[in-house]
Amino acid sequence: MNEFSFLLLAFITYLLAMLAGFTSFFRAGSSWRRVSYYLGLGGLMLHSVSLITRTVHSGQAPFTTMYESVSFLAWSCVLAVIIFERKFRLEKTGPYLWLVVVALMALASSPALPKAVSPLVPALQSYWLWLHVSVTLLGEAFLAVAFVASLLYLLTPEKKLSQPGQEARREKLDQLAYRAVAVGFPLFTLGALVFGMIWASKAWGRYWGWDPKEVWSLITWLFYALYLHTRLVHGWKGKKSALIAVLGFLAALFTFFGVNYFLSGLHSYA
Amino acid sequence: MTPGAWKFLASVRLAIALLIIIIILAIIGTLIPQEQEADFYRQHLPRSSALILFLNLDHLYRSPLFLSLVFLFLLNLLFCALQQLPARFRRLRIQEEPITGTGSEVPEPRDRSRLERWLGDDLPRLETIFRKRRYRVRLVTTEQKKVFLARKGLLGLFGPELVHLGLIVIIAGGLISAIFSQRISIALVEGQTEKIPGQNFLLRLDRFTTEYYPDGSVRDWKSLVSVLENGQVRLRKTIEVNHPLKYGRLSFFQMSYGQDWDQTSLELEIGWPEGGLQTIRIKTGESINLENGARLKALSFIPDFQVDSRGQAYSRSPEAINPAALVEMVEGDRQVFLGWVFFGHPDHNRYQRQTLPGLKINLKSFSAPTFSVLEASSDPGANLVWVGSGLLLLGLLASFYLPYREVRLGQRAGTHPVLLTYARKNREGFRQEVSNLLGLAGKKELKDKTDE
Ligand code: HEM
Repeated sequence: MNEFSFLLLAFITYLLAMLAGFTSFFRAGSSWRRVSYYLGLGGLMLHSVSLITRTVHSGQAPFTTMYESVSFLAWSCVLAVIIFERKFRLEKTGPYLWLVVVALMALASSPALPKAVSPLVPALQSYWLWLHVSVTLLGEAFLAVAFVASLLYLLTPEKKLSQPGQEARREKLDQLAYRAVAVGFPLFTLGALVFGMIWASKAWGRYWGWDPKEVWSLITWLFYALYLHTRLVHGWKGKKSALIAVLGFLAALFTFFGVNYFLSGLHSYA
Repeated sequence: MTPGAWKFLASVRLAIALLIIIIILAIIGTLIPQEQEADFYRQHLPRSSALILFLNLDHLYRSPLFLSLVFLFLLNLLFCALQQLPARFRRLRIQEEPITGTGSEVPEPRDRSRLERWLGDDLPRLETIFRKRRYRVRLVTTEQKKVFLARKGLLGLFGPELVHLGLIVIIAGGLISAIFSQRISIALVEGQTEKIPGQNFLLRLDRFTTEYYPDGSVRDWKSLVSVLENGQVRLRKTIEVNHPLKYGRLSFFQMSYGQDWDQTSLELEIGWPEGGLQTIRIKTGESINLENGARLKALSFIPDFQVDSRGQAYSRSPEAINPAALVEMVEGDRQVFLGWVFFGHPDHNRYQRQTLPGLKINLKSFSAPTFSVLEASSDPGANLVWVGSGLLLLGLLASFYLPYREVRLGQRAGTHPVLLTYARKNREGFRQEVSNLLGLAGKKELKDKTDE
């Protein structure tokens, strides 16, 4: 059994967790949600073994290549889902989150992302790599929860709202998104911006240089600042803030994937 | 300042508008390459180059437009804080007096209700209930009045203000950095000593090493340097990527390295027409007397030889990919040989002048001194940024995880008791929670009004 077998097993387990979750939609009061939760927990264990094996084998942080980072992001998302399921009950949001996890796992295990360990260029050899990337991706995992909840909020058909319980259900999605941002935003601030600035000042002698990756994390962050404040103004809360939470996560995804492929800069090795 | 202008500058609506505009501009700045020459835009973006240059989109993040938006945002944050802080402090300060009356002295917003009876007959019980929930409790009972005050999460009351203050400090630090930070690049070959401009010390590079991974890629660059002051070594340290040297107000970073090709030592092999080989060592720019009485001169060295469209030789890169040397031989004042000789490819040698048929010159080896490029930077704004970041993070923690809670219960002799509750967020939920705690749930309490 190597790192990839465990990754595959975790992938399959997450897939089952997702299926169990969606099954619970059709069987009210069934225990499928519990099944989904425990499958997710099991998948998390298998996935952790895969990440640890990789780390021991490569001797460096498990997020230095795109494959490693996507796998770690998926792992963080699972952690976020488990925590939120325990604390707030994700209800119908849960299975859609598993869908995101499964998509990330599919990407991580696809041949499009090379699996080889690549030696670290000098700028990446720092313990700030561990802090900066892990805290950022953990934050983004919670922002993914807000993304899915907000998307479901936006996709609730207006017609349906007159039905009993639907307005309250949508209100819950709004609450869920806010709670996820309340975890994700501070983590993202700490990991992406503060740790990022500290590391940049150590490696390059300046904490901020308007490098495209830096600017895109700032853009992501500003979206969530916008999200928090739209909730203070009557008329913006609800639909508009949900839209901003969705856009904010898309900005996070672009920072993660897009900047390396479409824009050039100092960060282009990562 | 008119009240209207004040309100505008302190408004969340302005904050939302500014955030949206700044996001859009920041995105544009990542789509248009920054800090290029004007010609770059004319060449690559011919249709929009005029607009780009006119709007300063080529250096967007330091353009007057962007900076004034940031400045307006700074004002917005300041006015917002000035608007919020007095009420926050008043809330902390006011402890008992006001709530014995109508409660109107407690800053808004507040949720107020008039109760039918005083709940404090069992004051110790009330106290225990709230203390158990980590509230700080204060009790005053005299003939004239009874006051019960319980609250917790004082830092949470100031959460947003700490966040905003942190941002103000960070932006201030950023402005100071933009104006006062300095960066100087210093290239040193081994053994070279250089005075650092504006400082009273010198820096000497003692040794420069490059370490490689087994696959040949670079693992690290290390510069062992000495700091010299008044002719004495004050400090020796190895500077590596991610491990700068701090000395005085400057930090020295390992930025890059290179080879000084103008100082290349060449090993040349000369094959005489009449047979026989002579090997000589020569540095670029030097000349040397040969066996036959001629002089050989190494005119120049190019590490990555290329010829441009006009036939001029130049180096495509600073790496030794296609090394070549230009060599000249003179007898008296007559040039008898001139040609480019290539390392590793003698068959490519280009003789431009050859008056001695059969003469061959080959480049056997070459070496150039390596120099290390260090960057000295001083950034007086950085510390403010770190302080601001700390405040920002503390503020976020307080905003989201230390919710402020306040319960006031008071009665003046001969009047109805008054209950006032306040939480920064989810006030209705908190009111409900307090009602349950006080055993009011389901009872008829007279809720006057909730001030919004
Ligand atoms: C990027 C900039 C900003 C960030 C990151 C930021 C962050 C925050 C945070 C984290 C909160 C607490 C939110 C919550 O408890 O849900 C908050 C609240 C608030 N912010 Fe900002 N803020 C920013 C800019 C501004 C500006 C420019 C204003 C100016 C009007 C402003 C006005 C407010 C107000 C009025 C509150 C509500 C305070 C309360 O709940 O009592 N913010 N902000």
